[in-house]
Amino acid sequence: MNVARLLPLVVVVPLLGAAVLAAGGRRLPRVASDSVSVAFAAVSAVLAGAALLGGAHGDPYVVEWLGGWRPGPGGQGVGIVLAGDPLSLGLAAFASLLVVAVLLYSWRYFEEPPRRGSGSFPALMLIFQAGMCGFCLTGDLFNSFVFFELMGVVAYALTGFRVEERRPVQGALAFGIVNSLGGYAMLLGIALLYARTGELGFAQTGRRLDGQHPDALVLAAFVLVAAGLLVKAAAVPFHFWLPDAHAVAPTPVSMLLSGVMVELGVFGVARLYWTVFAGPGGLPQEAVGRALVAVGVVTALLGAAMSWRQRHLKRLLAFSTVAHIGLFLIGAGLLTAEGTAGTSLYVLAHGCVKAALFACTGILLDRYASVDERELHGKARELPLTGGLFVLGGLAVCGMPPFGTSLGKAVAEEAAGHTGHWLTAVFVLASAVTGGAVLRAGLRVFAGVGTRPEEVRRRTGAAGSADHTGQRSDRSDRTEDFATDADSTGDVGTRGDEPPETGGRLRRIPVTMLAVPAVLLAAALAAGIVPQWATATADAAQFFASHEGYESVVLDGVNPRPAPGPPAHWTAVGVLLGLLSTALGVGAALLGLRRRTPSEGTERLLRLPARLQSGHIGDYVAWTVAGVALLALLTAPGTHTFG
Amino acid sequence: MTRRARFVLFLVAAAAVALLFVAAFVRLPPFGGDFHPYGDRAVRAAFAHRTANAVAAVNFDQRALDTLGEETILFSAVLGAVVLLRQIAGERRRPPRRARVSGAIRRLGVAMLPVALLTGLYVVAHGQITPGGGFQGGVVVATALHLLYVAADYGALERVRPLSLYEIGDATGEAAYVVTGVATVLAGSAFLANVLPWGTFGTLTSAGTVVVLNAAVGMEVACGVVVLLATFLDQAVEIEEPSHAPASGGTPDGSGGDAG
Repeated sequence: MNVARLLPLVVVVPLLGAAVLAAGGRRLPRVASDSVSVAFAAVSAVLAGAALLGGAHGDPYVVEWLGGWRPGPGGQGVGIVLAGDPLSLGLAAFASLLVVAVLLYSWRYFEEPPRRGSGSFPALMLIFQAGMCGFCLTGDLFNSFVFFELMGVVAYALTGFRVEERRPVQGALAFGIVNSLGGYAMLLGIALLYARTGELGFAQTGRRLDGQHPDALVLAAFVLVAAGLLVKAAAVPFHFWLPDAHAVAPTPVSMLLSGVMVELGVFGVARLYWTVFAGPGGLPQEAVGRALVAVGVVTALLGAAMSWRQRHLKRLLAFSTVAHIGLFLIGAGLLTAEGTAGTSLYVLAHGCVKAALFACTGILLDRYASVDERELHGKARELPLTGGLFVLGGLAVCGMPPFGTSLGKAVAEEAAGHTGHWLTAVFVLASAVTGGAVLRAGLRVFAGVGTRPEEVRRRTGAAGSADHTGQRSDRSDRTEDFATDADSTGDVGTRGDEPPETGGRLRRIPVTMLAVPAVLLAAALAAGIVPQWATATADAAQFFASHEGYESVVLDGVNPRPAPGPPAHWTAVGVLLGLLSTALGVGAALLGLRRRTPSEGTERLLRLPARLQSGHIGDYVAWTVAGVALLALLTAPGTHTFG
Repeated sequence: MTRRARFVLFLVAAAAVALLFVAAFVRLPPFGGDFHPYGDRAVRAAFAHRTANAVAAVNFDQRALDTLGEETILFSAVLGAVVLLRQIAGERRRPPRRARVSGAIRRLGVAMLPVALLTGLYVVAHGQITPGGGFQGGVVVATALHLLYVAADYGALERVRPLSLYEIGDATGEAAYVVTGVATVLAGSAFLANVLPWGTFGTLTSAGTVVVLNAAVGMEVACGVVVLLATFLDQAVEIEEPSHAPASGGTPDGSGGDAG
């Protein structure tokens, strides 16, 4: 049996596991259902790894026509193809491994499973994994839309999992509505492409477009499909749902959402461009690149600034994810193999680091029933291991060598430097500010550094009292129960009103909850140290960023020769820039710790973006429509050829 | 943002998007042309596998992975609804009250129930030769059961609806689709390939695996819709608002919906 035959199993094995858990979850003891879920997720990860290695030994691409519907000689077919190039196979393997890590982290996590079946949480996680793997591997536009929707449906349910509270449900609702709008845009764009080409495959559509002149229909199709994917990626101005959802989702879910799901949106946009629009009949490279880089820069800067002013640790990490999505968009938007290679390295390492940071935050939440930076001031001195991991994660976010985040950033920075040195500055600034925010919070919470916070108004039964009652915060008298960023003090705290997710407060930290972030950080470190890792990623990027190569392998069965990719290794400049952003991050953190209140200047600067993050879904919808319009205006100039 | 700012932003953005749509839509192929490359290929492929209903051939043979995805979306939606609408600490269940239904409605409902059930099963079974199939027939079967709710009351519906069985049926339908695909791989073909004998065109036994996958989807949809409706009806009929006393973190009491 050749390795291509196994490719569909990567996607469907988790579905089988989900069905087993949904059927038997009511009867299975908790340990059994957790074990079953880990086993199925691991099998899928192993299969993805096998396909990756199987491809590496001979042909780089692994192509499988489902149902045996191989197209005829003219590339005219009716079937769906799974086309795993090394990059998408690697991403599918990474997503699967992260699911395994998250399932281990949430081992015996929720003490109060739904009355009907404790299997529903791991079952949803497995379906999420299937959706992500399918999205990575499919070579078909409509099929990728199906998996986009599948990821969405599961993620909404997982986000709102803790229905005992109001905010998770509100966050899930905002997430669901904005992402559904993105889905509609994507479907409309696919319909336009189908109307023009009569095809649904990436390769087939791309080949049909190659023989034509681009016009407004092609532009609109790109803008609509890309807008849908950018909603998933939480790029500005589609990003509003992300902080509201990631900050309230259960910790294991946040690990997956921030660690890999939003990055899949960036991956989707890049693949859409390379496979469909990169040919002579598609869209000019400079037009698409201009749009993606512009969106990326704004996303990076806004995310970093908003991340800096958060006190709620989960929101801080969520905005940090937004900032990094901006950097990924810049790197992918350079539309070169080098930029793609750097971004891929960066995405994988960042996913590990971000998941580890969320995992540490989860430990805080489950022990102190709070994730408020000021309220936890010095409280977590008793958790030196968790604190060490958290600070290491902060340094990795800053881009400190030899972490993989730093290597990926360095390669992407260098690629961006060919376009303009100011882009390099954006990379340094965004990673320094987001990393600095994490360091500031980590030092304050785990080491008690900095000024004592001004006395937080304490309610009876708030943080510090043992019998936690889960009452709502004292901001619940507002019309919106959201912890919005709309108040000018930046005082988005939780005041110990977040019930822990483990049923009761943790007395002892379970070994799984500590081991998972440790292993994840070690993986991020390995990504920077092992040179083969970087060269393999760069070779994979070379294949990914090839329009003709993809078409010929999928439609003609001609696998390209393995060719060396762009250089992806440490350079002196890269190391220096990494050290610079780390130094800036540490400096910013120390400054932030000395101040009792945020400075007047930054406050005034950030008042507007903070007010926009209002928690009002109507606002988010209006911004989503505006985002489609902006994307069209950014992409349109220079796309029209009259012929 | 204020209401007004939001509205202005939306109008300006929507105007720009409308311009984009108009520019794109005027370049669509004219309506009613006879150039349908994909459709022609799909119909040819359907006939090649002796499937009279070309739509079923696209759904369950040519693009069977899409259908697996769609089926899984429904499966996840049911799972998610059960999770989100679960009874939480502090909410109490009370048994549904008996409802008074007029005799005419009761008689008509009882008479319609077997007819509706049979119609649903017919639509599932004939999916490969006539319009319909697992999705459509499954919904008909599920709604047929709910004639009891209309003709009698919620208690009567609960007596014929052991939810745990339907949850297992839902998962079995999902698993059956995947297992069919894995079996085709083990048989040495591609995933979800139509490896069964295709039979005689236009008969119940034609179209090979399309029949099996249709049945799997029919089972999943019928059971899934029953569970979905039960989840919502429970919220509406049985589960009461939490009392305003602070929850003590105790587990909710109350057995499942199959008491009686």
